[in-house]
This record gives sequence, C-alpha cells and structure tokens, in this order.
Amino acid sequence: MSAETNMSDMIRVEGLGKRYGDPATGLTALTDIALNVRAGQFVTIVGPSGCGKSTLLQIIAGLVTSTSGEVQIDGRTIVGPSPDIIGVMFQDAWLLPWKTARENVEFPLALRKVPADQRKERAMKLLDLVGLTASADQYPDQLSGGMRQRVAIARSLIQKPKVLLMDEPFAALDEQTRTRMGNELLQIWQESGGTVLFVTHGLTEAIYLADIVYVMGARPGRIIDRIEVELPRPRSIDMIGSEYFGRLRNRIWHLIADPA
Amino acid sequence: MNRWLRRLLITAVVVAIWEGVYRAGLLNPIIFSAPSLIAKAVREDGMTFLSAMRLTMVEIGLAVAIAWILGVAFGVVAGASKSLARVIAPVLSAMIAIPLVILYPLILAWLGLGPESKVVFGVLSGIFPIALNTLIGVRHLDPGYTRMAQAMGANRFQVLFLVLAPLALPAIVAGLRLGTALIIIAIVLSEMLSSTDGLGFWISYHRSLFNTGQVYLGILLAVLVAAISNILLSWIEKRFAPAKAA
Amino acid sequence: MTQLLPRLAPALFLALVALVWETASRSGLADPDVLPPFSHVMGVLWGLVGSASFRADLGLTALEVAVAFVIVVPLGLIAGLYLGEKPQAYRLFSPLLNLLLSVPKSIFLPIFIFAFGIGFGQKVIYAVTLTFFIVMLTGIAAARSVPAGLVNMARAFGASKRQTYLEIYLPAMEPLIIEGARIGFIYTVTGVLIAEMYGSPRGIGRLMFAWGESFRMPELLASVVLVVILTVFVNELLRWLEDSRQTHRSRA
Repeated sequence: MSAETNMSDMIRVEGLGKRYGDPATGLTALTDIALNVRAGQFVTIVGPSGCGKSTLLQIIAGLVTSTSGEVQIDGRTIVGPSPDIIGVMFQDAWLLPWKTARENVEFPLALRKVPADQRKERAMKLLDLVGLTASADQYPDQLSGGMRQRVAIARSLIQKPKVLLMDEPFAALDEQTRTRMGNELLQIWQESGGTVLFVTHGLTEAIYLADIVYVMGARPGRIIDRIEVELPRPRSIDMIGSEYFGRLRNRIWHLIADPA
Repeated sequence: MNRWLRRLLITAVVVAIWEGVYRAGLLNPIIFSAPSLIAKAVREDGMTFLSAMRLTMVEIGLAVAIAWILGVAFGVVAGASKSLARVIAPVLSAMIAIPLVILYPLILAWLGLGPESKVVFGVLSGIFPIALNTLIGVRHLDPGYTRMAQAMGANRFQVLFLVLAPLALPAIVAGLRLGTALIIIAIVLSEMLSSTDGLGFWISYHRSLFNTGQVYLGILLAVLVAAISNILLSWIEKRFAPAKAA
Repeated sequence: MTQLLPRLAPALFLALVALVWETASRSGLADPDVLPPFSHVMGVLWGLVGSASFRADLGLTALEVAVAFVIVVPLGLIAGLYLGEKPQAYRLFSPLLNLLLSVPKSIFLPIFIFAFGIGFGQKVIYAVTLTFFIVMLTGIAAARSVPAGLVNMARAFGASKRQTYLEIYLPAMEPLIIEGARIGFIYTVTGVLIAEMYGSPRGIGRLMFAWGESFRMPELLASVVLVVILTVFVNELLRWLEDSRQTHRSRA
C-alpha cells in the first residue's frame, strides 16, 4: 500500500491549449486546461465524445505537442515520450500480434536492450499480478479482449513508471468485463502504488474508480469542474447504488449536458 | 479554364524543348525521336495508324465483353458455394501467376495471325482476375443477406443474381478494372509480337525500319487508348460502385 | 485432407488438364498434329531437358529473371514503403501510378531495343521497368497496412524512429513483403519472356516463339508445360511461405 504523504504534485498541467491551424480559422481542441494530481492519487477525467480528453492525455503522455501551456510530471517538463516515468494504455491494447503475451509485456524493456532473463523475470511477475501466468505463451489472437487489456496493463507497469496514463482502456469491453477490469485495476493500483490518470466517457466508471474527477466540456475542450469523491477504499459495487453516488452522477451529468 | 490553359502551356513548352534538343543533336534521335518527326509520321501514315487504332479498339472491346460476361458469371457461381470457392480460388490464383505470354505462340499456331488470336489471348489474360475478384466479392458477403433473401422466399438463383451479385459490385468492379487493363496490355503486346494489323503491329513494323516518328506516334495512340479506357472504367466505377471510387 | 485441398487444388487442376488433353488428343477429338498427346509431349520435354543447348537457353532466361528480381523487388518495396508512410505523397502519386499501370508497357519495347540492344542487359532493364511499379504498389499497401496506433504505442514506450521501423513496420509488413516478392516474380518472368519473344538471339522465350512460327508443336507444348510447372511451383511456394507467416497476425 503506497503511503505517500508527499503533498507535491506528481502531475501538473498549466494553461494547456491545443489548436490546429492558424489562430483565425483553425480549430481549438483544448483551451486553458489546468489540473494537478498528487502522488498516489487515482484521478479520472470524464467528458462527452469530442471534448478532447484523448488529445489531452496524448499531450500529457508526450505523444502530441501542445500549442500553449506545459505539462510537468514529477517536476520534469514533458516534451516527448518519456517511458521511464510514464506508462500508457489506450482503448485498443495494441499488442504486437506476432509476439506472445509475455514478449509483449517485455517489449518496453526489449527496446531498452535489457537482457533477456531479466526481462522474462519482470514480465512473469507482472503477468502474475494481472492473473495471466497461464497465458504467458499465447498470442494476442488467442486472448479475449479483457485478457489483452490485462497484458497491456502489465506492459505499462514493467518499467515501474511513476505515473500511469490510461485513455478509455475498457471502452471496447462488454459491461461485465469492464466492471471486473475496473476492480482489478484498483487492486493493482493499491498493490503497486503509483499515480493514475484515467480518461473515460462513462460517468459511473469515472466516479467509481477515482479520488478526484475532472469534468470536461466540449467545443472547445476545457475543464468545467473538479469533484472530490468521498467514498471509502476499497470500493465495492454496492456503493454505486448509494444515494451519494447517485447525486454525484447526477451533478456530473448536468455539468456535461448543460454547458455553462 | 485556367487549369487547362496551364496544362496546354506546359505541354507546348515541353514540345518546344524536345524539338530544340533534337535540332541541337543533343540526344540520340533514334531513341528519343522528335515532335517534328512525329508530325511527319502523322502526315505520312496517319490514316494507317488511325484504322489500326480502330482495329485494336475493336479487338479490345470484343475481348472485354467476353471476359467480363464469362468472368463475372463464373465468379458468381463459383463464389456461391463455400466448398466450391475453396477449391476454385487457389486454381484461379495459380492461373494468374502463370506468365500467359507463353501461351501466345500456341494461340498463334492454332488461330493464325489475325485478330482472332489477339482476342482469344486478350480474353485469357483478363478472365482470371475478373473471375477471382468476383468470387472473393461474393464470398465475403455477410450470410445475413442470404438469410434475409431466403426468408423472403427467394430461390437459389434469385439470391445469387439479385442479392449477392449487386452487393459484391465493388469487388467485381475492382476485378473488371484490373482485368480490362490486363486485356489491353495483352492485345497490344500480341499485336507487337506477331500480327497483320493493329497498333502494335505498326509500331513494330516501323521499329524495324527505324522510323522513330512513327514508333512514337503509335506509342502515343496506344497511351491514348489506355487513357480513354481508364476514364471509361472510372466512370463505371463511380456509377456502379461509388463507395470504392476514392 | 480437406485442409490440404486448397493447397493442392492447382496441382490437381493441372493434372486434370493433362488428363483431358491426353484423352482429347488420343481419341482424335483434337487433331493430333495440332495437339499432340500429353504423353508424347512429356517425352519430348524429357529430350529437351537432356539437350545442352536447351538447358543453356533455360539457364540464360533464369539468370535474366534472377538478376531482374534481385534488383526490382527490394527497390520497388523500399520505394513503396517510403511513399506509403507519407499520406500526402501517396495522394499525389496514386492517380499517376494507376495510369502508369494501365499503359501497355510492351509498346516501349522498340525504344528499349533502340537504346539497349537485344542482349542480356536489355531484358533485365525491361523486366525491371515492367515490374517496378506494381511491386511499389504492394510496398505502399504494406506500409499503409500498419496501424498507426501500433506505431504510436511503440513511441509511447520510447521506441526511436529506427526501432519503429525494425520492431513494428518490418514484422507487421512481413506477409505483404513476401506478397510483393511473389508478384515481383510473376512480373519479372513475364517481362523477360516478352522481351525475349520480341527480339532476342537466345533464351526460352525466343525458342518458344520460333517453334510456334515453324509449327513445331511438340517442342512448343513441351516448353509451355515446363514454364507452367516452374512458375506455378515457385508461386505456390511463396504463397505457402506468406500464409505460414500469417499465423497469429489477425488483429482480432
């Protein structure tokens, strides 16, 4: 259990904007985004389709450049891919089809030319963590959607990143699997510590998983509100039926549906 | 207006430079010819080339008609049954892999030097890609369509030709484009190798006489034939398989 | 057995053709002067293969094909990969490429002969020119078949540009690269044979054309059978290779 009492921000985003084209006629995808995540927190970003939340995550991950503002992770300004401190997950697992599950988990280490036996050891530990030890030598086309995403989780953790960025990783899964994966993710997060920034368009998922929910609006993409979720951990499914949960959900729904 | 004017201007400049290079003797005239030589060829042999072009286009038209009808029909029927398709598709693929030009001397020996041999060679060159593409197009259709049609009481024949064939149109049209290009290539080639008339024949004939003006004239006309058929095919593609026209 | 059937189908088909041929010829259905029996033709083929001069011609053609293949396939694939990677370049070149492919390149043979003569080099150059664009097309398709998300993922985990090429593009494109080689083979053989038939002192293409002109049907048919067997064999081999590399590659 990570017991970070460090109060400084792990992720800090200030004045972030993203515009395509020239100032006069271009498209503003994001404007004046500011958010912060403290070490060890699980923060979600929820918003309607097209609000730019995926773009925001890609910028924080260093895969897309912003046109204004900056991103800092653990005090370091992010200017490009930073695999040593950032682990990423996408809506598609994007596993290499010609590699086994284990080889896929090893992939980031293979890029760093880490010796094979070390890679294998770390990969097997993580596969164990996500409950896929038995499938280590199977290929992605032999795995279910949920299993592939679990491989992707293991892969994103193998370099022991400070921060895990997740872009709607469970959106393509059916509801049962999605709920199960959410719980498993929370378990993994509690066990391995670390900071998580999770993007989703599902309100229930956003509240259930998070300590803090950032609500985004669309056109242009901006932060509408920041909501603290005061539910105890570990979370359980019946919390979703509680009155508190319902009120939160309602509040967020209206924030999104009735743009200020 | 502007675009065409600009293209005309560019063409005129290119022609002028080409002629200038020829006059200056900078390039081997046998290999590169010259606009004035081509113009001379038009004056001397223009009529011959025009009638040759007409013959070539007739041969192409005939071969295309036969290959399209036979190829699509065969492809639809073969694609209708899963087990049939599994066996026939590899055979068609293998046929496409054979350099069909090796059959041309045979066809010549059997059918003579006239247009018949050209048309037959053309049909052979085009029919296999057309059949294969049609087969694949029909095979890759969602079985839901067949079920829906059967639920409405369609018999096997009706399902095949009234439901599946139209739905497979994009794939079929792709096959027709490919097949037609191959047919044109085959017919011009066969005329060049051995013939009594046609564009290819006259190109070859003038090559042996080193009349590069005539050779280039023939080449330009052949390119024209290809361009015209390309435009026609594009129109067909837009008309019958609009989603595919990209 | 049913699994093997598609694989064996071409061979079975050819066997069927041979059977029909033999029957038609022997029964008199087809004029045996025009279509001598398959068995007789096979005998002639055996004799040809034994003849040193035939082997020399065969060897020459094979060498022309090999040289052209080794030049054009890597060249075409790399050009295609490069273009396919850049969407703007692709949009620019695509209509031009389609036009180029539909033009009968045989019409340029006279110019090739004027420029390069009728020797070994000219055959190779012609075959390369014929094959280049279609192999490039395969290369473009191969590059475009690599999902951008896969490349993005690799970037997220710190892959350098070189690493994305080696670890993502190349393995992802492997089946299509083999496909490019297969198509390249078909077109190089075609190109060499066409050039030989059109004007050449030696080579299988030349032989076949001459036999056709002098109505020597057994020899002509024998060489046709030989070329068919050889090309179908190589084609099926490459297709089998491509399929075997296709396992576990479907993006489920």
